[in-house]
Amino acid sequence: MSETYDFLFKFLVIGSAGAGKSCILHQFIESKFKQDSSHTIGVEFGSKVVSVGGKSVKLQIWDTAGQERFRSVTRSYYRGAAGALLVYDITSRETYNALTNWLTDARTLASPNIVIILVGNKKDLEAEREVTFMEASRFAQENELMFLETSALTGENVEETFLKCARQILTKIESGELDPERMGSGIQYGDASLRRLQRQQQTTKRPDCGC
Amino acid sequence: MAASEIKRKFRNLLGGKQEPVQSPIEENFSHEQFSREAAVTKAKNQRPRNPHEEQEIFEAIEEAYYNNESFDTSEFELKKVPEVLDLEKIEDDGTTLRQQLQVVSKKVSELVLQNHPAYAAELQRVMELQKALQLASIICANGRRQLTIARESFTAASLGLLANYKKRQQLVGLLKSLRTIKTLQRTDLRLKEMMEEEDYCGAIQLCLECQKAASIFRHYKCISELNSKLQDTFEMIEEQLDVALSKTCLNFDVDHYEKVQTAYRLLGKTQTAMDQLHMHFTSAIHNTAFQIVLGYVELCSGTGSTNFQKRQYSDLCMHISIESFTPCLIDLCKALWGVMKSYYRTMAWHDIHDEEAVADTEGSGNIEATFNRCYIKQKLEHGLVRIWQDVQQKVKTYILGTDLSEFKLEGFIQVLDLVNRMIEIGEEFCKSKSEGLQDSLKQQSLNYFRNHHRARMDELRMFLENEGWELCPVKSSFQIMQLMEFRFMRNLVHSSQASDKGVQLNSSSPSHHSKYFERYATEGNPFETQQEEEENEDVWAGTGNEDDSDSDSDIPDVLKQDFIDEITGETHSNRQPKRKYSRTRSYQKNVPIVTNTSLNVFRVIGKYMQMMTVLKPIAFDVMTCMAQLLDYYLYTVYIFFGAESSITEEKTVNNRLWVTLQRIQENMIAESPVPGAPPLEVEDRRDKVSQPHISPIVNLISSDKLYGLAERIVAAESLVFLGEQLELLEPHLEILIPPNRKAFLQQFYSQTVKMATELRKPVYWSVTGQSVDYDNVLQHMNTVRWDVKDIMSQHNSYVDHLLMSFQNFGVRLSEVGRRVPIPKAVYDTLWEHCVRLANRTFVDGYANAKKCSNEGRALMQLDFQQFLSKLEKLVDIKPIPEREYVEMYIKAYYLPESQLELWLQDHKEYSNKHLLALINTVDHINKKGRQRLIGLVEELERYRR
Ligand SMILES: Nc1nc2c(ncn2[C@@H]2O[C@H](COP(=O)(O)OP(=O)(O)OP(=O)(O)O)[C@@H](O)[C@H]2O)c(=O)[nH]1
Ligand SMILES: [Mg+2]
Repeated sequence: MSETYDFLFKFLVIGSAGAGKSCILHQFIESKFKQDSSHTIGVEFGSKVVSVGGKSVKLQIWDTAGQERFRSVTRSYYRGAAGALLVYDITSRETYNALTNWLTDARTLASPNIVIILVGNKKDLEAEREVTFMEASRFAQENELMFLETSALTGENVEETFLKCARQILTKIESGELDPERMGSGIQYGDASLRRLQRQQQTTKRPDCGC
Repeated sequence: MAASEIKRKFRNLLGGKQEPVQSPIEENFSHEQFSREAAVTKAKNQRPRNPHEEQEIFEAIEEAYYNNESFDTSEFELKKVPEVLDLEKIEDDGTTLRQQLQVVSKKVSELVLQNHPAYAAELQRVMELQKALQLASIICANGRRQLTIARESFTAASLGLLANYKKRQQLVGLLKSLRTIKTLQRTDLRLKEMMEEEDYCGAIQLCLECQKAASIFRHYKCISELNSKLQDTFEMIEEQLDVALSKTCLNFDVDHYEKVQTAYRLLGKTQTAMDQLHMHFTSAIHNTAFQIVLGYVELCSGTGSTNFQKRQYSDLCMHISIESFTPCLIDLCKALWGVMKSYYRTMAWHDIHDEEAVADTEGSGNIEATFNRCYIKQKLEHGLVRIWQDVQQKVKTYILGTDLSEFKLEGFIQVLDLVNRMIEIGEEFCKSKSEGLQDSLKQQSLNYFRNHHRARMDELRMFLENEGWELCPVKSSFQIMQLMEFRFMRNLVHSSQASDKGVQLNSSSPSHHSKYFERYATEGNPFETQQEEEENEDVWAGTGNEDDSDSDSDIPDVLKQDFIDEITGETHSNRQPKRKYSRTRSYQKNVPIVTNTSLNVFRVIGKYMQMMTVLKPIAFDVMTCMAQLLDYYLYTVYIFFGAESSITEEKTVNNRLWVTLQRIQENMIAESPVPGAPPLEVEDRRDKVSQPHISPIVNLISSDKLYGLAERIVAAESLVFLGEQLELLEPHLEILIPPNRKAFLQQFYSQTVKMATELRKPVYWSVTGQSVDYDNVLQHMNTVRWDVKDIMSQHNSYVDHLLMSFQNFGVRLSEVGRRVPIPKAVYDTLWEHCVRLANRTFVDGYANAKKCSNEGRALMQLDFQQFLSKLEKLVDIKPIPEREYVEMYIKAYYLPESQLELWLQDHKEYSNKHLLALINTVDHINKKGRQRLIGLVEELERYRR
């Protein structure tokens, strides 16, 4: 199994309990709705290689438990995340109200350059909506977040969410705003680009290579 | 004479008449003519004669006149005329002739008159006769006419009638035949109908009857045609029958099969049928497999131009896409199962019916039936193995056609489960061990598992590198078995208990062999229940991120709340602040210590065990990989938390642990790439994992936090808990691996699992070593004078200093205890080590004394007693470790030289320095004796090296 990819991004899925984080991840990876999802204990892990802007990117995704009692166990996973999905449940204002806390956590614990996408989940439950799209959009704008509404049930926008976030990171890498080689950037070169890079280094850096 | 006379007369008469000169004779007589006699009278009238004269004249008529009828009288008379004509004479002659004529005419007339009545009468009669004849002719004509009428109107009709009747009879007969023939011809249709109705027996019987009937009508021309047609039909029936027989392969139906078999028996071809049947089964297996795989391949390839129809089956199997692999396998298994089931049921049918058939027939028929039965039975039994071989081959080819390493575990397990079912079915079918399938399973499994395991190991490394070593709050009764991934074990235990009983109950009967074929005899498919079971029993439910909330779900929320408090310690510390140092408060019992990572390891172990149950052939390989998970966890905990202490203090790592760690490093840990060094060989890296790096958020240097004691506890105790849980699994694992591999299991338990607790020392001792400043205490001790002359009643202050440090440590320990539960064992380890280090410090300090008096020795004892008595209040450990170490060292001072010599040899726990110091401080031994003892110690030292 030769998994070749250009980049590896560390992702984080955060948000209040029951917002549907695990369901989103499951939908993303398995392409189906996780029927009897129950509260996550600690963290769970999933990975998937996606293709973004002509590059193949391996996403390493940490799905954290939203329950308060797990806060301390999940904190260690924030560090060095390149991207985060900040999830709330559009049918629960409570989960929406908690966003500020989650956001602070993410900005302080993860890298300051972390790319965060706000995700309003359970879009399918339109009748029970408590948070309007407009309201959340404004919040996203104010906090410089991208924003999408998803449904882990129908799969709507789930993949887009991850892709959008990954695309933004790639753009930042290309513009030099993000440096993959900086420690804790949450970004690594994959085998494919590593080899390319090594070749470049060998050809360009040979004269002064003393390290 | 009279007659010649008449004749002559008549001749005359006639001659006379013929004379042309004579007056023409009346041809038509009439009565008046006769009666009047006119002609004669005329002549008479000329010259009347007397009869004599007349007689004379008459007689004078020359003879020549009578001679010939064609006599030419003229010529005759002319000839008589002489050369010289004499008129007179001629006249005379003429007169004579006239006379003669007269006489003759008279004579004739007389004769005529004489005969006239007779003539008339005769004529009358002739007339009459003529009349009668005319009448007769008329009658005759009438008769004839009437006869004709009669004939026409009577005979011809009736004869025609008769003839017609006869004809009719014949035609009726013909019609009958024709009807029969028509029926015969129609039979063809009926036969076709019967074929459609699958009434083969009836059809054959009918056909045979038809042929018999046809032979009766052989003389008809059309029959020969019909006959050949019937022959065709008969052949067609056989073909149809063959087709019907082939249907058995895909779906055995008792009625259907019975019909077919009866039909074959009717044909007397039961054996041929058997041979045919086997061929059908073989081709059914091939065709079924081919069609199913082809269907999926075509489905996936879309409207691609490649034509798969012509491909080989094995070639086709390589074109199955990953997504369609499992559904296709399920369909394949289902279909092949169908074929096997049909075969099985065919056998069962023969078992029952052939016996009956043999019983039913008698005499010579019986012998044949018995023979047939034996043939069939044998054929069927041989067929079992062959059919299973075919089925197995198809499945095997299919499985090996695709690289399954990209599969999700659940998906792969499903594949294994399917194939295992197939193997079990094979076992039940013909007691086959299914080497082929087992092989392919093993091959695929190993390949898959190697990949899978690599990913898991990398994942484990990631978990470890992100691990904050915070306690993951789980309920206090948490057990590995509660995890979703282990649910299958509960079922396993239940079912194994159940089956144990079952086996005992009917161990002799083969009933457990007919598991599949009996259970799914009539309906359902063993490959269909998969999904249902999956949902109902959650056997394979750990789908990647599947949750194991059940570890939470079965306790009420209230209890959950309690347990959170219990773990965080918040409420407890408020409730009982005064008893912080007491045994009951500083450590907690029975709290499972779990990290995100160890939880993940549990899950992976659960999945691996599932794999082992499903995948018996590589169960052992899985087991070794499972061992690697623990190895790596153990190694990491050591590297993160224990390595630095073992560098400074070798004794913290016991030998066996050291060997274990060494082994892990060599076997599993990839050397960290040195910058500039050539990249490692891929092969080499394949089975190795690089060494993990501890997350930078873990702080191991803050003394306030006791050098990361909380994290250390979580790390080491999560490892211990992991070990404990694995101990619980040992019996289960033992069942899962082959018996000849038990040794490995034992080795794993003794070398890794049991080592978990051993790791406590290196992990905790670096804390205890750092958190109490023994050097400081030692320096304090060095300032103490031991050559005092008085017995002191007050202990030295360094003891208080040490105790203060201990108390301080206790406070910080209890602070840690608020964050994480401190198990008794940890508590003991920590304190024991503190005390041990303290005791070593005591000995070191005492050994540092250049001079020492008896009273000084007593002071030492006093100090130590003070320490012990205060310690007892501070911590709860009994016995105090290495208490004798201190006490004996102090007391050895009092020993006389000879005993001291022995003592020195017996107590190797003290260092050379300690012993030499002891010898030097003892003041009741003379210089020479002291020198000797020093020599002895130095010799021992050399020996020790
Ligand atoms: N209708 C609907 N229900 C959803 C959707 N996503 C999740 N759910 C439901 O929401 C509940 C919680 O989903 P989870 O994914 O377990 O929530 P979570 O955010 O992972 O929760 P924690 O693990 O406790 O943090 C489950 O019962 C899901 O069935 C969605 O898009 N639509
Ligand atoms: Mg979750």
